[in-house]
Amino acid sequence: MRSEVDMSNVLDKLREYSKPGYYDEFDYHWTMTIDLDRCTGCEACVVACQAENNLPIVGEERYAEAREIKWIRIERYWEGEFPDVKLNFIPMLCQHCDEAPCETACPVFATYHNQDGLNTQIYNRCIGTRTCAVYCPYEVRYFNWFTYTWDEPLEQQLNPDVSVREKGVMEKCTFCIQRIRMAKDNAKDDGRRRVRDGEVVPACVQSCPTEAMSFGDSNDPDSKVSQVMNSPRGYKVLEELNTVPSVIYLKKVHDDV
Amino acid sequence: MSKISRRDLLQYIGAGGVGTGAGYLFAEAIKRPVEFLIPPVVPPEDYSPGVATWYNTVCNQCSAGCGISVRTREGRAKKIEGNPAHPVNQGRLCARGQAGLNALYNPDRIRAPLKRVGERGDGAFETISWDEALTQVAGRLGRLKIEDRADRVQLLTGGIRGHLGELFEQFITLLGSDRYAQYDFTYPANLRLANRLSFGIEHLPYYDIANCDFLLSFGADYLGTWLSPVHFSLGYGQLRQGREQRGRCIQIEPRMSLSGANADEWIAAVPGSEGVLALGIARILVADGTYTGSDRDAWQRALEPYSGDRVAAATGVALERVQQLAAEFGSSKASLAIGGGAAAAGTNAVASLVAVNALNHLAGNLGQPGGIIFNSAPVFGSATRHAGLTQMTELAASMQDGAIEVLLLHDTNPIYAMPDAAGFADAMAAVPTIVAMSSFMDETTAMADLILPTDTYLEAWGDDAPEPGVGLPVASISQPVVARVYDTRSVGDIVLSLARRIGFELPVALPWANTKEFIKDAWKKLYTELDPQADAADFEEFWLAALQAGVWGRVEATGGPGDAPAPSTIPDIDAAAATFAGDTAEFPFILHPYLSATLFDGRGANLPWLQELPDQMTSVVYGSWIELNPATAGELGIRDGDLIEVESPAGSIRAPAYLFPAIEPGVVAMPFGQGHTAYGRYAQNRGVNPVQLVALQSDQQSGELAWAGTRVKLRNTGERARVVRNDGISRTLGRQILHPEENHA
Repeated sequence: MRSEVDMSNVLDKLREYSKPGYYDEFDYHWTMTIDLDRCTGCEACVVACQAENNLPIVGEERYAEAREIKWIRIERYWEGEFPDVKLNFIPMLCQHCDEAPCETACPVFATYHNQDGLNTQIYNRCIGTRTCAVYCPYEVRYFNWFTYTWDEPLEQQLNPDVSVREKGVMEKCTFCIQRIRMAKDNAKDDGRRRVRDGEVVPACVQSCPTEAMSFGDSNDPDSKVSQVMNSPRGYKVLEELNTVPSVIYLKKVHDDV
Repeated sequence: MSKISRRDLLQYIGAGGVGTGAGYLFAEAIKRPVEFLIPPVVPPEDYSPGVATWYNTVCNQCSAGCGISVRTREGRAKKIEGNPAHPVNQGRLCARGQAGLNALYNPDRIRAPLKRVGERGDGAFETISWDEALTQVAGRLGRLKIEDRADRVQLLTGGIRGHLGELFEQFITLLGSDRYAQYDFTYPANLRLANRLSFGIEHLPYYDIANCDFLLSFGADYLGTWLSPVHFSLGYGQLRQGREQRGRCIQIEPRMSLSGANADEWIAAVPGSEGVLALGIARILVADGTYTGSDRDAWQRALEPYSGDRVAAATGVALERVQQLAAEFGSSKASLAIGGGAAAAGTNAVASLVAVNALNHLAGNLGQPGGIIFNSAPVFGSATRHAGLTQMTELAASMQDGAIEVLLLHDTNPIYAMPDAAGFADAMAAVPTIVAMSSFMDETTAMADLILPTDTYLEAWGDDAPEPGVGLPVASISQPVVARVYDTRSVGDIVLSLARRIGFELPVALPWANTKEFIKDAWKKLYTELDPQADAADFEEFWLAALQAGVWGRVEATGGPGDAPAPSTIPDIDAAAATFAGDTAEFPFILHPYLSATLFDGRGANLPWLQELPDQMTSVVYGSWIELNPATAGELGIRDGDLIEVESPAGSIRAPAYLFPAIEPGVVAMPFGQGHTAYGRYAQNRGVNPVQLVALQSDQQSGELAWAGTRVKLRNTGERARVVRNDGISRTLGRQILHPEENHA
């Protein structure tokens, strides 16, 4: 029996664990795909997210001050001029980057990468410096400038699985972490080690009327998301910044005659 | 939600065999205020703390009839999702459907029966008891019945389908009146009439977008507002990436809609010329031999006037493009033409839609996969009492003449959704008694003398057979997903208790204690009628299964007539030119109003999630705007955000300008939905209502309001107005966000 700890082994583990994307080999790597050839920009996902994640109704004045909170939004990009004009839609949400610029920015480690490859935000650790929002190239972090309230009895709708945020806290898409937790708990109750493909469905993915989005574990080569993300149309937004997003978009097909 | 009394709790504890020590502790514990205590023993079965219960019911935010699953926790509705078992939406749901929770928990719901105390329209009401309210209404109706003047009772509702519509029908008939009308702004009356003329079948067919290779849409915003947007969106996803060969979509409309943005080609044709374009394509299909039917010669003669040059001149679409469209439409394996939106709301709407139907016939799409597949009639309860502009104007005249003594309203808002010139608001002033059965204080409800607050669709029983159907007979039951939030009653319950109080033969003919029993009884009949071999004793099992599944249907298709259209349509083929109210010189622009994909026809304006949801095409929230082509705006010296006065022969409103890149220069567009003068804090006094600009014109054949048939002029007021929007810089400016440079077919 050895009495001393094999330090090289520990260091190996440390190196392994601090390696970006270590969860590629361990737990899950939650990944989302969005097929822009299916997406119509209908915004069903936007309302689904608002309902699921207790997003506040900020009101017209606050909205005009660009203080709206929408964890997923549809961006619109016009191309060309009348009459040969096109409008392209792209849903934009937290990309859960492997090399997230926001994570390095936070002075209090309120945002960090968890073992599932999620970029998470710890609300009660956040002190509201808003640095992360400045660092985020996708502009998907939203700050609570106020403590928003719900006109009675709208608060009865609030999802008890998701905390309501207060003034001074940064928030953003969580990939519906409460649904991930639920699926893991269910798997555990069933005596399974892993969540099955398709058991975790974030609210936006669930609602999508054109089935443009899919979600799953890209560590599992057989998962739907792994199949879809290998499409030749797949790309990552602002890939050149080396943020390594976990959201993979599939290009829209333009086949004008 | 049933409450567990202290005594029950103690009994449970005894029954559960919990030791006396624990029993004592529990008994002590519940002496504290109960609101801090969740009963620790067996709670009601749908009330397990921390565990969600899902109820299946039917969405009521538009008339598509999607099935929904509502997630409830501790007796509160938390989220609406699509019901995966429902064939219409297959688990998916649009933004409007999901915002239904805002209707249930809306702070501006009417919370108790109200009686007017001030002048009509002052908004002064006092709360009265249900007993008093029902006694008053029943007394008034009963007296008219005794005096044999019950035909002076008018019932006006929204587009109610299902057995509830039949209950209304029975009630009014038993009362001795045949005055029952349904006013629903979005009811596809023109399309139904066109389909009857073309195919002899009025109920809506199944438009098989999922399997079609070439989709030609004349103004129908099938991804946003047309008939059954979620189902069509599912089909669109399938058409794009769900199969071997990617299908193509072409959208023909003067202002790009959501469907136009997603189409491969958006073609801006002259407003009102859609029928001419369809017949121009039809002529080519017949001439080039795509159509080989025995009546080819008759078609050729009928289509002779639609020569390429004439069509190009009338529609503003280049001749080559028309030819390309015809070639592709004729040669695609499965092509499909649909018509809707403004193309189905002009003075020539029915003629245009018949022309679109003719295209489908000539290309051989009828009854084919990827074409138009005829549904059998809905299992029950089609909306049959629809009133168009003609009927509503007649009704207003009767009201003015004093022929109506009692006006019963439910779930319809003609004061908002009809042009002022139709005179409905004035006519209401001439009606002695107005009773509104309503959940919200909308413009029409605010004029009532007595308001009976109704449950929202998430608190009430009901049922629905979706239309357009999905090729199979399908029906769903609506059930309450939560206990009532306020002291409201379902409209069915109100009608049944009125029947009991009125007396005569009504309680005998309408014997049900409540809506649930009525619906259950109706389904029992359905159950035995549809399957005579079925054991009636098994009904209870069937009922529970149908409730649980949220949908009931038959797997085997009972196809309708899927052959050629009735031959009588051929000589009638004629795309009459649309007429527009207003002189061209004085009113140089055509007004193109459109249904909002967020607020719809205005019924969504009181839902804060929808008010705060950016308009899909413009990203505007919380307000109105008028879209005009940037070039037009430049000529007129109009900048983004200038306050514009829009004047038509019928009225004038002010809205900020929005320079919209995808609209024809001679056209200005405005969404319906805003401009409420009542309807709660989120809707009231916000934006303007373009219905006020619409001149009183109707379709020549159907008598429906031609809401796309008005010309306007613009005047820059010189003032600036705020348009709240979040689109920022709406060009990619070379950033690789969309990666458009590389194409993969």
